[in-house]
Amino acid sequence: MARRAEPPDGGWGWMVVLSAFFQSALVFGVLRSFGVFFVELVAAFQEQAARVSWIASIGIAVQQFGSPVGSTLSTKYGPRPVVMAGGVLAASGMLLASFATSLTHLYLSIGLLSGSGWALTFTPTLACLSRYFSRRRSLATGLALTGVGLSSFAFAPLFQWLVSRYAWRGGLLLVSALSLHLVACGALLRPLSLTEDPAVGGPGAQLTSLLRHGPFLRYTLALTLINTGYFIPYVHLMAHLQDLDWEPLSAAFLLSVVAISDLVGRVASGWLGDTVPGPVARLLMLWTTLTGVSLALFPVARTPTALMVLAVAYGFTSGALTPVAFSVLPELVGTGRIYCGLGMVQMVESIGGLLGAPLSGYLRDRTGDYTASFVVAGAFLLVGSGILLTLPHVFCFSASASKPQDSGTEAVHTKVSLTRKGLQED
Amino acid sequence: MMTKYSNLSLETPDISLTASPFTSLPIREEMMTKYSNLSLESHNISLTEHSRVPVEKNITLERPSNIQLTCQFTTHKDVNSVNVTWKKGDELLQNYLLNATGNILYAQYMFTIINSEQMGSYSCLFGEEKEQRGTFHFKVPEIHGKNKPLVTYVRDTTVLICKCQHCSPLNWTWYSSNGSIQVPIDVQMSDKYVIDGTSATETRLKITQLSEGDQGSYWCRAALRLGEREERVELVVLSYLVPLKPFLGIVAEVVILVAIILFYETYTQKKKKHIDDGKEFEQVEQLKSDDSNGVENNAPRHRKNESVSQ
Repeated sequence: MARRAEPPDGGWGWMVVLSAFFQSALVFGVLRSFGVFFVELVAAFQEQAARVSWIASIGIAVQQFGSPVGSTLSTKYGPRPVVMAGGVLAASGMLLASFATSLTHLYLSIGLLSGSGWALTFTPTLACLSRYFSRRRSLATGLALTGVGLSSFAFAPLFQWLVSRYAWRGGLLLVSALSLHLVACGALLRPLSLTEDPAVGGPGAQLTSLLRHGPFLRYTLALTLINTGYFIPYVHLMAHLQDLDWEPLSAAFLLSVVAISDLVGRVASGWLGDTVPGPVARLLMLWTTLTGVSLALFPVARTPTALMVLAVAYGFTSGALTPVAFSVLPELVGTGRIYCGLGMVQMVESIGGLLGAPLSGYLRDRTGDYTASFVVAGAFLLVGSGILLTLPHVFCFSASASKPQDSGTEAVHTKVSLTRKGLQED
Repeated sequence: MMTKYSNLSLETPDISLTASPFTSLPIREEMMTKYSNLSLESHNISLTEHSRVPVEKNITLERPSNIQLTCQFTTHKDVNSVNVTWKKGDELLQNYLLNATGNILYAQYMFTIINSEQMGSYSCLFGEEKEQRGTFHFKVPEIHGKNKPLVTYVRDTTVLICKCQHCSPLNWTWYSSNGSIQVPIDVQMSDKYVIDGTSATETRLKITQLSEGDQGSYWCRAALRLGEREERVELVVLSYLVPLKPFLGIVAEVVILVAIILFYETYTQKKKKHIDDGKEFEQVEQLKSDDSNGVENNAPRHRKNESVSQ
């Protein structure tokens, strides 16, 4: 197959966007709407809520820690077979879960099996998307990630209907069939050969080169800190509102407002990321700082209007930072190393995500309300955005009026000239 | 409570009590001394002569109690001219108390509820032409089953639960119904039905080895001291084929989708290859004619020139 010098920026790339849209819906939308089954399982197995919620936690943990596996396999075999295999695994996990007779059974089937399936799908798909786009990368990523938000709106009532009609066993069986569509999403990921691919070598070589890449390590650290603060409102906003004596219905309405502004933020930021000149890392800094500020202001707002304004601000800015966070990576490490890079980033930043919510809960238990948790979350985001300042090109405003070339191409030139020299010497 | 009605003269038992002809109406004095260990419940209703709709109050009562019902009637007319009656259902009651302060008339009826016969609706009525009515409805506490039908599968085990939040029934019984006939569930007959009665406030009916014939309505009946309550729980039993059909349908759809996507790709690649091959062919031809020095190749060149000249 002919090697391309530049990503196609369109054409089949839009089918990849479609695939990424559906697969982020089928992975994260399902995870977010799992609460419907949670309620049924607590009643069916007569277990404590904490023990049943481990099912989703194990699934998320396996998905995040397994990301490097997915990306390593994609580097070697291309994203298509990996994602299709992941789809089969995810669907099998749900299928086995519908026959569960104990909670352990569910930990293994949904948590471990489906979790591994999800690990093999999310990272390779987003990395593949980054390879297909360069000028419109942020927009493509933003559009693809709207799948998460939109599917939460659709899946929650759908799962509720499934459970009322077929009980949780039949419901899980049909969710398994739904998850099988991940295989179709995988089929859409046509392999793409870019010119820098042979230069960057196999997965082992890529990993070692990444671990020595200063900006990449700083970026990973920044994202980990950002991740620690990012998820806190998702988990604790509802409880914070209840502390302020909000009615459940109004609180749920506020959360919907956050979700909608999150969606708008993703697409707007995606479009903005492509049109604004200069490195995307600057935009990431902007959105991260704004998110941190809005989080820190949450405890100060007491009136409903102030909270509503902050909720819209938080939703918009936190949604805005997601597509640019993914777009920064190819600019740092190049599209050749994107699979491995993304896998590693996902794995490390998940530590932040896992720590964030319990930390916030702990602070709340110690201080009595969520003021400390929100302020700390905002602080994590601000520190993370500070670290982003150290990334190359972020601070110099004069030199780079246009986007920096994917540094991968620079690496190609140096490596190609080296190999040529080597051949000549022979 | 007592301070609120301190201006009421609680008439002492030296009023001659007429023995009521209806055995369901308790004789006040004896009851008051006999059941002084019961709790006292006081309820009141306010009425004016302009009230459009009758005022009603629902009272949930679980155990036998002494009851004190008070109706206050505000009027511009002379309070002494207002006609006051108390009724239980349609029966006239006697031995009620009256007091007037300013233009508010207080009517009070005291009695004791010990069994289900004393439960019901008690009304105070004021006036003759435009009768104003206040009613107290006494009911036993409600029991709760499940609002939505319980969905289960064949050969599964399920538990039907009925709860009473604020009462402890003396007895719980379960019935299954086919249509309108209620059939009590026989626990001794087999292992299929087990009734768990460990908790007083709830009852659990465990049914094992479900079959499609077990589908239908189940009734739990609570026998309380002051009456009976009944609640329905709906059970649906499905076979595994029910969700299996849509499952297989969706799996087939996914397989077809994947096939379409992959075939489309090989088709477009073949087309591309065809075009590429065609281009290569032309390129090879050009190279051949470029490289040619020999005579053999003059012929194609000539042919080419000929075609051009044409």
